[in-house]
Parts: sequence; C-alpha cells; structure tokens
Amino acid sequence: MKLTRAGDSHEIDAEVILRDGSTIRVRIGDRELAAEFRPNADGGGVLAIDGRRYPVFGARRKESILVSVGPACFEFKPAEAAARRRARGLAAAEITAPMPGKVLKVLVRDGDLVEAGQPLVVIEAMKMETTLAAESAALVKHVRVEEGQTVDHGAVLIELSPPPASSGRESAPRAE
Amino acid sequence: MARLTKLLVANRGEIALRIIRSARLFGLKTVAVYSAADAKSAHVGAADEAIAIGPAEAAKSYLDIAAIIAAAKQSGADAIHPGYGFLSERPEFARAAADAQIVFVGPRPEVMAALGDKVAARRIAVAAGVPVVPGIETAEISAARAFAALAGYPILVKAAAGGGGRGMRIVAEAAQLESALEAAAREATAAFGDGRIFIEKYLAHPRHIEIQVLGDEHGALVALGERDCSIQRRYQKIIEESPAPGLSAEMRAKMIDAALKLARAAHYTNAGTTEFLVEGDNFYFLEVNARLQVEHPVTEMRFGCDLVCEQLRIASGGKVSEPAAPRGAAIECRINAEDPEHNFRPATGTVLHLSVPGGPGVRFDSHMTRGAEVTPWYDGLLGKLICYGPTREEARGRLVNALGEFALLGVTNNAAYLRDIVASEQFRDARISTHFIDQFFPEWKITNDEIDAATVAAAITAGDVQAENAAPKANTERRSPWDSLNNFELWGSRR
Repeated sequence: MKLTRAGDSHEIDAEVILRDGSTIRVRIGDRELAAEFRPNADGGGVLAIDGRRYPVFGARRKESILVSVGPACFEFKPAEAAARRRARGLAAAEITAPMPGKVLKVLVRDGDLVEAGQPLVVIEAMKMETTLAAESAALVKHVRVEEGQTVDHGAVLIELSPPPASSGRESAPRAE
Repeated sequence: MARLTKLLVANRGEIALRIIRSARLFGLKTVAVYSAADAKSAHVGAADEAIAIGPAEAAKSYLDIAAIIAAAKQSGADAIHPGYGFLSERPEFARAAADAQIVFVGPRPEVMAALGDKVAARRIAVAAGVPVVPGIETAEISAARAFAALAGYPILVKAAAGGGGRGMRIVAEAAQLESALEAAAREATAAFGDGRIFIEKYLAHPRHIEIQVLGDEHGALVALGERDCSIQRRYQKIIEESPAPGLSAEMRAKMIDAALKLARAAHYTNAGTTEFLVEGDNFYFLEVNARLQVEHPVTEMRFGCDLVCEQLRIASGGKVSEPAAPRGAAIECRINAEDPEHNFRPATGTVLHLSVPGGPGVRFDSHMTRGAEVTPWYDGLLGKLICYGPTREEARGRLVNALGEFALLGVTNNAAYLRDIVASEQFRDARISTHFIDQFFPEWKITNDEIDAATVAAAITAGDVQAENAAPKANTERRSPWDSLNNFELWGSRR
C-alpha cells in the first residue's frame, strides 16, 4: 500500500505484516517497525513504538485517512490514483478550490504551458491568501474563473491537459 | 445605575461562548446572533436565545450593524457586548446601539474613534507625556528623507487607519523611500479608504508588552499588570504571557503609569489595552485596543478576576473592582486551524475527535466540540489554551503537558507546532522578541518518530480499505480495521 501525506509528493510504502493481539508489525519502505497498541474507551488508543508512547486517533474519509498523533495532525492519501494520473503525464486534470473563497489573481491564460510548481491562481479564504500551483508540467486548457469571483469548495478553477511534448510518456516530474 | 437584564453578544466562536458564561454569572439573560454558517455552533446553543442575522459572509451578518441592532430590539436586549474583531472597535456600532437605547459594553464612541486613528492616538499619547516611537506625521517626501537621515534606516511606514500589521512596510534604504510611501498610501486607500500615512523609526529587536486597563464612569481607572505578546507570526500573536519575563519592577511601574495617564487623557471607560514596544530600557506607545483582547485570560489567571464581569459591572454604571495582587505566571497559546508544515495555509473541516487537556491551572477557552464545522468564512482560532503556575517554569511545564494531551482530529491545526515552541530551550530561557519565530522557528517539521507513528496508524486503515474492496459483497457489515485489536473503533466516522 503506497500512501502520500497530503501536500507532499513523497510516497511512503507501508504495509501491515502482522497483527496479533495488541502487537502490530508494519513495514515502512525497507524498515520494519514493531508497535504495541492499547485501545481507550474514547475511540482512540495509545501506540507504543521503541518505548515512546503516542496517543492516536484516526478516521477514514472517502479519499483520505486522517490521523492524530498527540497534538500533531496527519492526512494520508492512497497513492494509486495520483500515480495513474501521472502516468498519463499529468498530475491533475483540474485545479479545484480547496475551500470556498475569492479569486484574487489568475496568473495564466488559456493555451499557456506551465511547469511543475508554477503558481496558477491565488485565492483568498479565512483572511489568508493561498496560491494554487501546477502539480506537473501541463497545458492550460481552459481558465474557468475571473479575478474577483467567489468560488465554492471544489469548484473547478482551471482545466489542464498533458503538455504536448510529454503526452504518452511515462511520468512527468512533480512539484516538491 | 442602569440595571441590565439581557445581553446580546455580537460575536461568534470561543469569545461569544466566554462572554455568555460571564453574563450568566452576572445575572443576565443572553442572546446569541449567528450567520447561516454557524447555526449549529456552540455559542448558539449556549445562549438563552439565538437570532439568525444573515448569510455566512461576515459583511452580511457579523458586520451588519443594522441586522444586529434589529436582533437586539427584537429580543429586548438592553446591552450589547461586541467581543473582539468584527464590530468591536467601530464607533458607528457603539453609536447605533446608543441611538437604540442599548448599552454598549465598551468605551464611548468618540473615545473609540479618537483611539482607533493611529495618528490621533499618537497625539493623545504625546500630549499625555507618554513616550512614542520617534516619527513624523507626514508622508511628504522631503520631510520623510530628512527624518530618515536623522533616525537612520530602516524606517517604518504605517497607515493611520491600519492595524495588525496591515498597511505597514519596512523601508531598508533611501532608494526605496519614495516608492514605499506611494505604495503604502495606495494600499491604505484601498484597504481602509484612508490613505494617510505616518513614519516611525524601526526598532530592530523590540518586545511587544501591553497593559490591561479598566475604567469606570465615576472616573476610577485601574491597571491589571502587563502581558508580553512578543511571540508573533506575520504580526499575529500566537503566545502571550504574564508577567513579561525579565521586566523590572521599575519599568513595569513606568509603563503602568503611562497607560493610566493615556487612559485618563482619553477619558477611557471599560476594558482597554495599551500596547507598547519595549527595547532595552525604553518603551514606546504603539496603540490602544479599545475592547477585550483575545489574550485577556492571561490577566484573569494571574489576578483571579473575570474581566467580562468587570466590563458588565462598568457598563451598568457600577464601580470597577480594586484588583487583587497578581500571583504566579500564566501563558496562553492560540490553537489555529492552519497547517504549520505548509506555510500555515488555512484549514477547514469537521471535528471528528477532540481531547481536551485538564489538571490544575489548565484552562481551555474554545467553541470546539465533536462534530463542529470549521468553515473558511471566519478567522481560524479553534481555541486558547492557558496555563497558570506559581512560577513561569511551572506554568510552562503545565502548558507543554496540556498541549501533549490535546488532540483535535479532522481540522489540521498548529497544536504540535505550539508544543515544540513552548517546550524549546529558547522559550524556556525567555529569549523573547517580536523576531522570535523568524529567529528560532523559521521552518518547522513534525519529528520523524511521529510520522512513523502516524504511518503505522494509517497503514492499518489502508489495509482495511483493500480488504473491503477485495470482497465488497461478502462483507456487508462495516468492519472496523481495529476489530482484531479488542474492537477498537478508532475509525468510527466514515465520511
């Protein structure tokens, strides 16, 4: 099972190789970790690894796994879907609004060729500016929003297609 | 003395809840107002009654003076508490309340107006003999050049109507001066509808220390010590404490005296905070916040008082209480819905689990509950964790432990980042200035050990997803991935 942490393109190859009572063995890449898990009545539990104890909680959503370890928050996504898209030379066919907000700046136009990591749109939400960037090299197929426009969560802002040179190639580099 | 009976709280989130609690103690009925995005928010359920005031956009709800005054009239409220942010420092709101025969819990509108203008507030301070940062009240280029030559670069260009770092820029050298003045005026006009600019000497390594003041309508004024709010990120305070570490009794006395002189000169009533920049043995007036501050619990923990009850007593014509002698130390940190590993981008979501810390001296002011929605419409403050201790080190130890006990699943937040700051030797040693974060925490990452622990937990669920996909029909009953672990139902919420 390949996982990626949200916002990070680095893949983690993780697999449960043993579950026996409270003992769990997990392979992460080429390492093997032994953990003990004790459940709590509140729905969480305590994970012990190498003598360190971590209070953990977790929940599964449609496309991601949320985990808390002590006060720290984690979001993981299964890597398969992203890998399939990348194999077609494009990390994402659409740039969508991660939250409702206002489009402050549109930095590209239809027909532009963009590189991995290139900023495409700046949106404002929760009094903060967020820049959305291309995850891979791409051709801007269609810009669907204008500056000043208010958008809902999940609204498609920009449609992308594979860059002409790399279509059909194995994979395009991703932004780190 | 105006006998108040019912208080409308013109705010949301943790502060609305906190005000409702004290209002009830003070013997008042409470009225909450809420936008469409907040219908299920905690403050709505906590009040005796609740009135919808508009859609999610703050401009059409929490910032809509007419809607809030109408709600007050409809509910028969005879007082309004504005909280902080939103309309709390808008003189026109206080005026609208007065026009409707409703008591506004805060200073009088004309006082608020005078102090809300940075240039006017600076003049009041100068007239009251309170030190201000050397500067000039003009953006005229030759005067600006002359001042900069005298004070030395860098200098600071500020908007008269600005606040919280907005409309402010640092000019490093003479060549940038003219364009910086023009840009600042343009920005200020766009952001505040007021292009007035003033210039100040830039302090290289200041601390931000503020004095809490209370004044009543009978002319009594008291100060409740200081709060050190130097630890900021992009001009937003994240950790506040009292007393200010290392502040001498003499400096404290001088600053308290200055804050009281300023409050007297401004005819200040109700709760207010005078902010100062402190560098070495000098302190300089920065601004007055004519409202309850976010970080007011730090003062409450040390003085054993309830500042909202004091505000209500003052608003009903009563006398301000003589403050008790302060004790011990208190530290607050702000838990925000943001991702500290990704440039603090705002986070939203539904709270799937919440672990609230406890123990002696631990206070958590928050509107978060399991199931609470954090929407993108408002600021991302999830709660304030405040710890008291007989000494700073004991307060700090309690805060480190409390942050370790804290868990909020479902909305990415900065609690682990705060824990690492409060646990750091730099914070322990109080090497505090407004550059603390840039200096010691420019980059922050979660530890590899914690990533491993998270990965172990995530791998177990991922394994379960595969199992379900492989045999979707045979497995009609939803199976928890923790079934083999004594029915551990960690993944209870499936969304």
